[in-house]
Amino acid sequence: MTDNAKIRVLIAKPGLDGHERGARVIAYGLRDAGFEVIYTGLRQTPAQIASAAVQEDVDVIGLSILSGAHLALTKQLRQQLAARNGEDILLLVGGIIPENDIEALKQMGVAGVFTAGTPVSAVADFIRRNTKKAA
Amino acid sequence: MKDDKNKDQLCPHEEQYLDKVAKAREQWEEKLINPRLKRFNMEKANTRFYTPLDRAGSDFLESVGFPGLYPFTAGNSPLEFWKVHARLAAEMGFRPDWGGTRGVGKYGGFGTAGDYRDYLIRMHSMGRKGGPNIAFDLATQCGLDSDSGQAVGEVGRVGVAIDCFQDFATIYEPYTGELEIDKVPSNFTINAPCCVIIAMYAVLAKKRGISPAALRGTPQNDILKEFIARGTYIYPPGPSLRLFRDSLVFLREKMPLLNVNSMGGYHIREAGATREQDLAFSMANAAAYLEAGVEAGLDVNDFAALFTFNAFGGSMEMYHEIAFQRAARRVYARMLKEQFGATNPKAMIIRQPITAHIGCSSTTLQRPLNNWIRAAVGGIAAGMTGAIPGVFPPFDEPLGLGHSIEATQMQFDATRILLYETGITDVLDPWAGSYFMETLTDEIEAGALAEMDKINQMGGTVAAIESGYMQKAIARSAYEKQKRIEAKQDFVVGVNCFTSELELEVSINRDVEPTYDPALMATAEERQIESLKKMKASRNNRAVASLLNTLKSHAKDKDKNLMPDICDCVENHCTLQEICDVLREVFGEFTQAKL
Repeated sequence: MTDNAKIRVLIAKPGLDGHERGARVIAYGLRDAGFEVIYTGLRQTPAQIASAAVQEDVDVIGLSILSGAHLALTKQLRQQLAARNGEDILLLVGGIIPENDIEALKQMGVAGVFTAGTPVSAVADFIRRNTKKAA
Repeated sequence: MKDDKNKDQLCPHEEQYLDKVAKAREQWEEKLINPRLKRFNMEKANTRFYTPLDRAGSDFLESVGFPGLYPFTAGNSPLEFWKVHARLAAEMGFRPDWGGTRGVGKYGGFGTAGDYRDYLIRMHSMGRKGGPNIAFDLATQCGLDSDSGQAVGEVGRVGVAIDCFQDFATIYEPYTGELEIDKVPSNFTINAPCCVIIAMYAVLAKKRGISPAALRGTPQNDILKEFIARGTYIYPPGPSLRLFRDSLVFLREKMPLLNVNSMGGYHIREAGATREQDLAFSMANAAAYLEAGVEAGLDVNDFAALFTFNAFGGSMEMYHEIAFQRAARRVYARMLKEQFGATNPKAMIIRQPITAHIGCSSTTLQRPLNNWIRAAVGGIAAGMTGAIPGVFPPFDEPLGLGHSIEATQMQFDATRILLYETGITDVLDPWAGSYFMETLTDEIEAGALAEMDKINQMGGTVAAIESGYMQKAIARSAYEKQKRIEAKQDFVVGVNCFTSELELEVSINRDVEPTYDPALMATAEERQIESLKKMKASRNNRAVASLLNTLKSHAKDKDKNLMPDICDCVENHCTLQEICDVLREVFGEFTQAKL
């Protein structure tokens, strides 16, 4: 469990949408599960998120999206991360994601997609299994 | 405390009777409950039973009263419009998606103003002729033009893009003749830049030679809940309330038929608030708007009658949601009468299109057809609280693809079944006088009043927003709820129980009506930016600069009403963002306190 303290997670809300219940619940939940969690707050551009992620040296980025703009925003974030040598950061997407788009997100390099009803504990387990640092 | 006070008022006969009930209750517990608790090894029963003892000394007239009379616990009216015309609606086969020349049409909007106009023309040709009920894209809601760097990917996505008066006027092109703007009402679901949209509406009337005084409709204009729950704020709460005041004074003076706002506890609860927080925060917000009007020298009896609510939040706990609606009506009425000295009953009622419901956050992505029965429970609660027993939302809400025609049909039919087959709406406030429901109503009211006291002690809604108190409280409540679900203290069928492979995934044929043309959606941003560029090149830029300058200097004077300046700006083709940017310079921008 103490290993978790080393895993740093950035929870990010890209775009202008302001529904942040999911982002906040995940932030609280992962914090309680022992992760170090930074929450960007609202209205972040993909460039701002990538820059914050690299600067804060996070292991995981969790994007919270429900506006329907997940494909465009995720693609932009991947490009911004690549420009900053941040491709290794484990990228997760959560929110209202239609089933047909999950595969497209994975092909963009998203490690895990978590839709409504996912327990925070499942996200925490996924992060533990998929981050090199904590192993 | 309540019991002590009220017991003195009982006549000896009642007191004797209550003693009798108390004895009977003791015997019941001893003979029936206790042996069972022992047998099942329980400390306490997980059921309850209410008796006259729970309501000893309560005054029916004071706490409930009659439907349509203070304190409105039992309802706003003894006979609602829809109830009078229910038979006619059935005989003519009325569909809620028609709208009607008296009402607003379906909430919507996408792409450029031209795209949305063409869509509306198509809807009109299908008989769906309600007034414009406009959804704005997020850039517009945040006071940004389509060419703003922050608007990338957002233009025309969740609503229509409005950058300037010309865009607004384009949407209204099909609204002439029998649909002229003095004949159909409009709804504007926008908050932070609401003044600009109201100004566009006023300018549109002027250009058409129609008196703004003839316009009807409802702007959402509820900025305070944006800080608490929905996030499309621009300026800090103080200056935001000043803009609200300016809109309020302007509306009462120039557009007296327009509602002032459409306040919501709905968004607050969906963001995670408890029932008591929902009621307390939305009432605290309402109080701030009311104070703004009173401070501006307006008569509460006049302007509060033009306040509306869109909804309060909902949940699956049907009894609690029924009690909630009853408590909300009473809390609001008492606040208006006791705190604001209102005497006009119309100023004391919660005017809202629906009452109880389950809230979209009660729906599940897992086995989504089950959401139909969930929503029907909300419809029953609505039918028992003075509204059409509206079944909402359609079962495919959480799939995030728009509502299918099948889900919408099932939603309409479920509502109709409740309305026409069950007789659920034949009795007004059917729970009135129930020992249980009256107690629950009192409890929810007390919880909300305690929370309102807390906010008052902090200095009111503005202070509670600035400190982040409300936002944090809601995020905490949302997290506590999530923890209860994960710990299986709360069960959600198909989510944290009954999830084994023995369960069957039931699905039905589901066509998502292609509401908006995906090809148009894909190019909207580019086209909108192009037309904005053209507009900026063709307008009188000197006039624009000068008007924005005047707006800026007037914004610095708190006592000045900015609406006339904003109208001038709009009429002379200043963009929405240009107007908002000037105000940003004077008012600053809101930043959320850290969680």
